[in-house]
Amino acid sequence: MGMSPVALAGVPALADQAKKAKAKQGASSAEPKLTVLNPRGLPPPITLIPMAPRLSTLDGKTVYLVSDGFPSADAFLNQVSIWFKKNMPNVTTVYRLKAGGFADDDPKLNAEIKEKGQAVIMAIGH
Amino acid sequence: MGIPAAPMVTIAFKDLAKTNAAKRGMPLQRISFTPHPVWGKTDAEMYAYLEGNDPVSGKPLMKEVVDSLTRPLIAEESKTGTVTPPTGAPTFTDTADNLQQYFLDNGMTDFMPIILPTQEKVDAMLKATSHKPDEVVGKMTPARGAFPEWSYTVQHVAVNAVMAGATPDYFPTLLAIASTGISALFSSTNSLVSAAVINGPIRDTLQMNYGIGAMGPFNQANAVIGRAWTLMSKNLDGGGVAGETYMGSQGNIINYNNLIIPENEKDSPWPPFHVQKGFKPEENVLSFFFGFSIAQGQGGKGLGMKPIPHFHEAMSANCAPFATLYGALFILDPLVAHGLGDLGYKTKDDVANWLQKNTTVTLKDVRTMLFSAPPRDSANLPDDTVIPKWPRPESFVFVVCGGQTNPYHQIANMSYRLSVSIDKWT
Repeated sequence: MGMSPVALAGVPALADQAKKAKAKQGASSAEPKLTVLNPRGLPPPITLIPMAPRLSTLDGKTVYLVSDGFPSADAFLNQVSIWFKKNMPNVTTVYRLKAGGFADDDPKLNAEIKEKGQAVIMAIGH
Repeated sequence: MGIPAAPMVTIAFKDLAKTNAAKRGMPLQRISFTPHPVWGKTDAEMYAYLEGNDPVSGKPLMKEVVDSLTRPLIAEESKTGTVTPPTGAPTFTDTADNLQQYFLDNGMTDFMPIILPTQEKVDAMLKATSHKPDEVVGKMTPARGAFPEWSYTVQHVAVNAVMAGATPDYFPTLLAIASTGISALFSSTNSLVSAAVINGPIRDTLQMNYGIGAMGPFNQANAVIGRAWTLMSKNLDGGGVAGETYMGSQGNIINYNNLIIPENEKDSPWPPFHVQKGFKPEENVLSFFFGFSIAQGQGGKGLGMKPIPHFHEAMSANCAPFATLYGALFILDPLVAHGLGDLGYKTKDDVANWLQKNTTVTLKDVRTMLFSAPPRDSANLPDDTVIPKWPRPESFVFVVCGGQTNPYHQIANMSYRLSVSIDKWT
């Protein structure tokens, strides 16, 4: 799928485990070897989510600017709105603060965007 | 939702955003990055970000965002199906030194040497519980909702217990911790910490220290139980990878082995904490707390008063820097608990009620603090209005711990989460 399964696992340190282990292979062959157990838990299978089809253009479209609530996300998205007015005036922007914590879904807002919008830009971070 | 989306993320969260998108099933999600931070920047500075380049791709930022929403998908971006993430082989074989290095290099330790989890040692651990090795103990995530939950068995917990240096008699306590799914390495930029209060006869069975130096490195069980919690928080849920599944800006030294607080029940004038929560005195119970951190309370208003220091005033004053997102957890030496009684505060409720009424702030303070929200009906009140810092006395929690060498307290900006039985894991 064009991406290492190790990256999907979120345990990138495992990606170079073979390289690291080799670094110590100079140890004496007479040194006894031990077998130890893996301490890692069991991640759930990942269901791949197909990305939504893209628009042919943003002209004439409504783009929702969604804040996850982190500090200054509202001010940042206001600047995004200003950028569109200056550079792509045919785009309508609508600002919304997502309800709940940063990781929570907001079904009410999702429904509104699906009904009234054609694209979303979401600001995440600090 | 079926609507094209373009996330804009500050570059400090690059690794987290990319790996988490993959873990959530969109390994090729089109993410654009801005410089960091956004917080504290002027409008002009933020607009300059938009006019500049994505610091990861080097492309003009807003052109890239527009492109993300309008460039047709490639086949890989529309792919469906499932992927099972790898976590490595069930066992590793090598020399002891190489295995130590291997565990270190692969992020499975707290960066200190471990006890190598051989089958023999793990089997000995497993004998300390009636639960089967393949029984699922729980699910854990570095941050609920943000990362997928991993599951783990009794054997997974046993492997981590061995690594931490636990003896088999600690194992039921570690299973009880694991059963809650609480990660001690919660992924927040706030470098949060966790605490576990231990009550019941098991404190003596495990020869835990709840006297002199109880919260320092002076007892095997106190130290190892806390260390095991940290190792479990790395290995059972893929947590504790700085920049990916741990984002604490500065980190917290308490995360090495957390706040393990065996209560000094015999010297306390009050019922033990677990009894307060509805358990019987003879039950063995863990009670969990979560929040910002802990501070010393040696100084403070009222402690110079004679003949009895005004402990309640110091406790109140020491809450000053705390945010009200979390409560106030007081760890009191028995001398302080008795002293409060001598001052007329005979019960925990007496102390909590006094603190709630007398620990006050102005609305201006609240309006300018982070993680502290003003009361809902206060919008029209002036800035100098004085209000209780916490609206409910339940925000003040007390645990007695210490060896009575001096009447001191420590105070943590932490909230109670839950209590669980240790006995069900024997």
